[in-house]
Amino acid sequence: MLLALFRVTLLLICIYTARHYYFTLNRLFGRQRHPYIDVETATWPAITVLIAAHNEEAVIADIIQALLEVDYPPENLTIIPVNDRSTDRTREIIDEFVERYPRIEPFHRVSGKPGKAAALKDAMQRVETEIVLIFDADYIPGKALIRQLVVPFFDPEVGAVMGRVVPLNVGKKLLTRLLDLERSGGYQVDQQARMNLHMVPQYGGTVAGIRKSALEEIGGWNENALAEDTDLTYRLLLAGWKTVYENRAECYEEVPERWPVRVRQIMRWAKGHNQAMISYLASTARTSELSWFERIDGVLLLGVYLMGPALLLGWLLAVVLFYTGVQIGGGLTVLALGAFTTLGNFAAFFEIAAATRLDGSRQRIRLLPLTLFGFTVSLISVSRAAWQQVEATILGEAELVWHKTERSRTAPALTPVASVLEEVPVPVEDSP
Amino acid sequence: MAFWGPFGLLLITAALLLLPVAPALIELHERTDAAPLLTSSHDGRIVNFADAFHARLEPLRPQFELCRHNEELVQVSIAGMNVLLVGRDDFHFLPDELKSISAVMCAHALIPAKQVLETDIHAQKTLELGESAAVRAALSGGDIILRRNSTAFRWLHANGNIYLLEGSSAFGRLSARHSIHLEPGCAFEHMFAPQIITTGSYDEDPADELFKPHAPHANALHAGVRQLNPHSRRVSANAGHVFVPSRPRLRVQGDFVLDPGETMNANVIATGEIRLGAGSRFLGSAKGYHDVDIEEGASVHGSIVCGGNLRLGPRSFVAGPIMAEGNARIARGSRIGSPESLTTISVNAAQIATGCTLHGTCWARAGGKIEG
Repeated sequence: MLLALFRVTLLLICIYTARHYYFTLNRLFGRQRHPYIDVETATWPAITVLIAAHNEEAVIADIIQALLEVDYPPENLTIIPVNDRSTDRTREIIDEFVERYPRIEPFHRVSGKPGKAAALKDAMQRVETEIVLIFDADYIPGKALIRQLVVPFFDPEVGAVMGRVVPLNVGKKLLTRLLDLERSGGYQVDQQARMNLHMVPQYGGTVAGIRKSALEEIGGWNENALAEDTDLTYRLLLAGWKTVYENRAECYEEVPERWPVRVRQIMRWAKGHNQAMISYLASTARTSELSWFERIDGVLLLGVYLMGPALLLGWLLAVVLFYTGVQIGGGLTVLALGAFTTLGNFAAFFEIAAATRLDGSRQRIRLLPLTLFGFTVSLISVSRAAWQQVEATILGEAELVWHKTERSRTAPALTPVASVLEEVPVPVEDSP
Repeated sequence: MAFWGPFGLLLITAALLLLPVAPALIELHERTDAAPLLTSSHDGRIVNFADAFHARLEPLRPQFELCRHNEELVQVSIAGMNVLLVGRDDFHFLPDELKSISAVMCAHALIPAKQVLETDIHAQKTLELGESAAVRAALSGGDIILRRNSTAFRWLHANGNIYLLEGSSAFGRLSARHSIHLEPGCAFEHMFAPQIITTGSYDEDPADELFKPHAPHANALHAGVRQLNPHSRRVSANAGHVFVPSRPRLRVQGDFVLDPGETMNANVIATGEIRLGAGSRFLGSAKGYHDVDIEEGASVHGSIVCGGNLRLGPRSFVAGPIMAEGNARIARGSRIGSPESLTTISVNAAQIATGCTLHGTCWARAGGKIEG
């Protein structure tokens, strides 16, 4: 029994290892797809930008200001800051902007179900345009970003678009530096490889866009979803809409600077993702509307947060089986064990290393061994989240609770990059 | 000894363990590469190079006017760039005159035949390249004319019109405020103008046939087809028609064919090929996973997305944008976009016949050619 369980665990590890390598090799040597990037002239449609904000007094001004300066016809751009029950100065700051810029149409939500999905669901009732872009309040869009996110919607199959998230507060702490590497791997390799291979790029809920008619077709936002982004990706996918990833549509974000915040964040992601897995695994595996590649990738993507507990279980079983003298045996099992103990642990790091190379980074690759530390924290957090979910299901506990990620920025960033660069020593080149 | 032995072993083991992470610890402490990744802050416009060049030389304008007045040549340096201000009209752009010069600012520029210049040129008025001449990059306040077999290597921008005569090539960016005219045998990569015309023997007005009303096919009703107002001769092709939420979406497993003369009002996604028959009218957007074939006189009033190759038949019309991962062949008399609604055609390689009109951006990543 234990041996069978061990073999299943090994098989899963091998599959995910192969997946990591496949994506990385594709990014390094495969054909790259950026089908929408060259569209620079078009009659740009009317769009609405929703800014999800809950107690965002430190950051809300930055994003509104940045959106007012983007390169998009102002008459076709409506900005709706969704102030979701904030108790700080968020409302006051938004209203100051509204006085100066009438095209900002604030939505001050004072009651209703907590959570981003619930707030967006209410805000959608005010949206009159077919294309809706969504940003969290701590993001700072660049000038061309809005157009880059809108272009894919000229493709009638596209239901949602996801841009690339780039950490702004990289140099602050060990955690931010590790998250910077992790984000590089996730977007530069994982998401773009899925785009290249016609698989399932994931809608991430921010720096993203959605087609209103597609959203309505699938029943709108699911306010019970902890990870509304994953939930939406799969509902769109199963309804025949594609999510596409725009690697060059980059936007700065603020990543967590404290470990407890990071742990809470990844636990929420894991629970939301697992929730989506329970809801959509069977239908994704069964649907005939998708290609085999999409189905396999869709299923594996749903299972990513289960690999944490699977890895821990594998380690535990390996020790138990070793000391109980069970013969593991078999060439394939030995090969799998080898993958489990070596490649399985390093495939993700290979992905990160490739991403930093693709990004043209120079020295940050040196931090790669330290990602093992971040990986361990994530492994334990994700496993804990899975255990809590199992526990809650067995005990029939109350519904899952949504937690907002705590912001570290304490004052508006006047010039986003410059403010961070000031704190980072920049190497000075010798003059000739 | 009993103490130092284990202690030494412990020390060596710790050092061996720390060795692989030493670079990481040094980087963590020194923070030599801890700035955020640079994101693209520009707006991606084709004229950015020209605008930047203009902005760099603009401070020299008073000095240039003085040179014009005195009819003299003056070499100045600005932002590390050696610029030659040409105040005379009889300047011949000979290589000897341009040694160590990065840019030239002049009124009219006439580059002699077969002359190859590695300098950037800022001509206040007309710029003309003689036969088989070549220039690195140029900005003109008026028109730019590339005579037969001449070449621009990096970029060209004209505040008026650009004329590429037979066999000339414009690598990189090519943009004009008014129009670009290309003759057979011309090569291009990335161009923008409100009107891009491939000139040649074909001189029919493509609009005449395009907007003739066609009766919808009875069998097409399931896809949301409705008859157009037969009195409405011209159908506006703006993005308002692309993003119509009420338009039906038709997903086809395999190929999709719209019969000749039919009209369809739907967005179609086909996992195979798409073929729109001659004279058909497609009012939505079409996406084919493989090739897309628009036959003679057919019109698409939305966008086209194509996973394979695209063929636009003679006198066809697409409102755009067009995004093809493969190559495109555009037959004579075709039109893409409209003066009121500029658009983009983005393809791998393009072959465009004479008599075509494109409005907006045309980007052929692997190069484009005008067919004779």
